[in-house]
Amino acid sequence: MIITPKELTDRIDEFAVIDVRPDEQRNEFPLAGLKSVVSENGVLPKVDGQKVLVCQFGIVTEGMIIENELDDTFSLLGGAQAWDEFIQEKKDFSRWSRQTVLPEIGIEGQKKLLNSNVAIVGMGGLGCPAAQSLLTAGIGQIHLIDGDTVSLSNLHRQPLYNPNDVDQKKVDVAKERLTVLNPETEIQKIDTFLDETNCESILVGTDVVIDATDNIKTRQLIDKYSKQLNIPMVYGGLFRFEGQVSILNVNGSPGYAELFPDPLSGGDTCEDAGVLGMLPGIIGNIQALEAVKLIVGIEPNLIGKLLIYDGKSHSTELIKIG
Amino acid sequence: MISLCLCDSVVNIMKIKIKCFSQVKYALGENEIKLDLENGSTTYDLEKLIREKANGQLDDVSLRVAVNQQYVKDESELKDGDEVAFIPPVQGG
Repeated sequence: MIITPKELTDRIDEFAVIDVRPDEQRNEFPLAGLKSVVSENGVLPKVDGQKVLVCQFGIVTEGMIIENELDDTFSLLGGAQAWDEFIQEKKDFSRWSRQTVLPEIGIEGQKKLLNSNVAIVGMGGLGCPAAQSLLTAGIGQIHLIDGDTVSLSNLHRQPLYNPNDVDQKKVDVAKERLTVLNPETEIQKIDTFLDETNCESILVGTDVVIDATDNIKTRQLIDKYSKQLNIPMVYGGLFRFEGQVSILNVNGSPGYAELFPDPLSGGDTCEDAGVLGMLPGIIGNIQALEAVKLIVGIEPNLIGKLLIYDGKSHSTELIKIG
Repeated sequence: MISLCLCDSVVNIMKIKIKCFSQVKYALGENEIKLDLENGSTTYDLEKLIREKANGQLDDVSLRVAVNQQYVKDESELKDGDEVAFIPPVQGG
């Protein structure tokens, strides 16, 4: 069983708190405002009633409870790291404990995600999985941009929508479904297609734009304003079993115009050429991963590189474009 | 993978591996092609050859060329053992 820092604060009188961390960790990261007893050499002290075990990240204690089949015992989700942040900032980070435990993310990285603002252009095969993953990762503000409606042939690859949504506006349905995933993210729906008259005003102020469109003209438009506004563009494209991803226009790094100057044709769209739903799921998630890495500052990333993924052989190709 | 020899002589040849992506893969029916080319051949020569083999299927497709996983903009002379990728833009999403 787990308990969040907020729940523990609300119900503090019901529990005895046991700190299972080694001495040096306890001394370095004391549990501010939380009375606790200490376990010696991994042996839990005998305490009556319900207990909350605390380790540094909330992972060791979850394992202890399962392994030892402990009754009436909770693990503090996110551990001392999440508790400390809750006491200092009054913000409960425990739902992200499995990503804040990563040294590359930590609480500081999570704060960057919570303060970030991402635009997703196109709520189709790439946009749906990208939006789901970005939202659950804790992105603070998301702009969903699409003027299209849901059609029956979208459903196999656009998991936010179901048969009852056919003919409904994609941004309306997507906002409703995504809000359930993370009510704390502010979702702006923009029920239009990008064009030369609206692109700048829609993208300005965002930190990253996810190119989840299905045509080259819109990609070129995003590229133009991404470059002008200095907003990184995370490009994704599909052809049958193959997908491409790149991060474009980061402080003068290559853009779509350098990636594909003057493209004559992009091949058929997913509607025309066909695609299995898993492929946009994979590529949209790689776009979301690259956006998160970009916001947090994790390297290496796909700036100046084109990733090509083949869904048949599962081979990848990484091409330097800079 | 298929292997082709496009040289009359076996003396002045180099071995090139071509990696095909998206429309190129479907037009040629192969992921990879091994070619023997005359020394001095360039990326332009190879692209012309690829387009000919595609029988018109790549006529309206612009191709980016990478040699050994690095984009090349201009005509570039190839050398023995080079791996050449032909990458079209894709628009599905």
